[in-house]
Amino acid sequence: MLSKKLELLGAEKHGAFGVDCETYHTAAAISSQGQTGKLMYVMHNSEYPLSCFALFENGPCLIADANFDTLMVKLKGFFQNAKANKIESRGTRYQYCDFLVKVGTVTMGPSARGISVEVEYCPCVIANDCWNLLMEFMQSFMGSHTPSIPSVFGTKHDSIYSPADTMVQYMELFNKIRKQQQVPVAGIR
Amino acid sequence: MEAPPVTMMPVTGGTINMMEYLLQGKAGGQRGAGGGWGAAELCVSGTGSVLDQSLESLLHRLRGLCDNMEPETFLDHEMVFLLKGQQASPFVLRARRSMDKAAVPWHLRYLGQPEVGDKNRHALVRNCVDIATSDNLTDFLVEMGFRMDHEFVAKGHVFRKGIMKIVVYKIFRILMPGNTESIEPLSLSYLVELNVVAPAGQDVVSDDMRNFAEQLKPLVHLEKIDPKRLM
Repeated sequence: MLSKKLELLGAEKHGAFGVDCETYHTAAAISSQGQTGKLMYVMHNSEYPLSCFALFENGPCLIADANFDTLMVKLKGFFQNAKANKIESRGTRYQYCDFLVKVGTVTMGPSARGISVEVEYCPCVIANDCWNLLMEFMQSFMGSHTPSIPSVFGTKHDSIYSPADTMVQYMELFNKIRKQQQVPVAGIR
Repeated sequence: MEAPPVTMMPVTGGTINMMEYLLQGKAGGQRGAGGGWGAAELCVSGTGSVLDQSLESLLHRLRGLCDNMEPETFLDHEMVFLLKGQQASPFVLRARRSMDKAAVPWHLRYLGQPEVGDKNRHALVRNCVDIATSDNLTDFLVEMGFRMDHEFVAKGHVFRKGIMKIVVYKIFRILMPGNTESIEPLSLSYLVELNVVAPAGQDVVSDDMRNFAEQLKPLVHLEKIDPKRLM
């Protein structure tokens, strides 16, 4: 339905996109030394095909080469890949004037868990300056499902938006979806 | 918008096993007194090489032998991080950043144990993974549970010949932790390293490396260093 509305608006299909997220557990080897069993997420975004994003919840986001995956294999004695927790969103990219909209189906293993919507306003790099514009645009096709301001904006103030901010939002969205089933949630940039 | 870092050679899909082939300057009398250096560091710290007086003649020779490129120098700050588990040996990662070129990404490097056996090979061979990263690398490693073991500053020259890389550099001790301004040289000599990063199994490169090393004699004797011998 969202896609139809977007197409009615005049948005054009512009290829496909994909974001995936793998979860790593700290192996018993380190957590026994008094560290809490933290989860580490390693994510990829088709928009940045040579990069790999590694994140901790409320922690730093490392942007690295895709080679980082090879390192995680070497580290398997310390960090274990929770394969069943792999979650991804795949779908279509739409272009509407200066907006880029990505509508994806979020799947975890074989089952679909929800729909993600990413909206990007390309000419602006400072998120707070274009949030109102973004919201107005989202209301035009999402109506009452328009989300409130994402938490990353709060900490960013007037600094420049980076790809890492997008990934943090996807991570938060994926975590939400993992916990509560079958509720569509939107992540916005 | 800030572009994410991209490596020079986007070759692998993460499937090719890259190996580093290494020859180092001959261990002479001027071994640096590397107090407190971890065992994993030995293959670098334990090698003597050319004394400061002979540096110019070595550089001159290298300029003649190597690819015709602009002379390149580097000034890097390297931090060695350890992750200790229940296994006997800790997991070692090296984080390096350039101190003189602000725009280049940080470099994270994993080096495996040297391959044993095979006396026929002329170079030390070990697994390696090179990753360019954003500048919050140290914070991230700490978050992962790593802790910094030691750090140093390396300053020197880099040359290339085909896929071979030759570095001539001096190691500086950092006097106050975290302050890369106050440093002192570890020794009166420069280290010389010849290395190649190639897919696993390409042992022919070690022959090329030996031939090249021959041409640097008698200025410097590059040898296959066995890290175990230095422990």
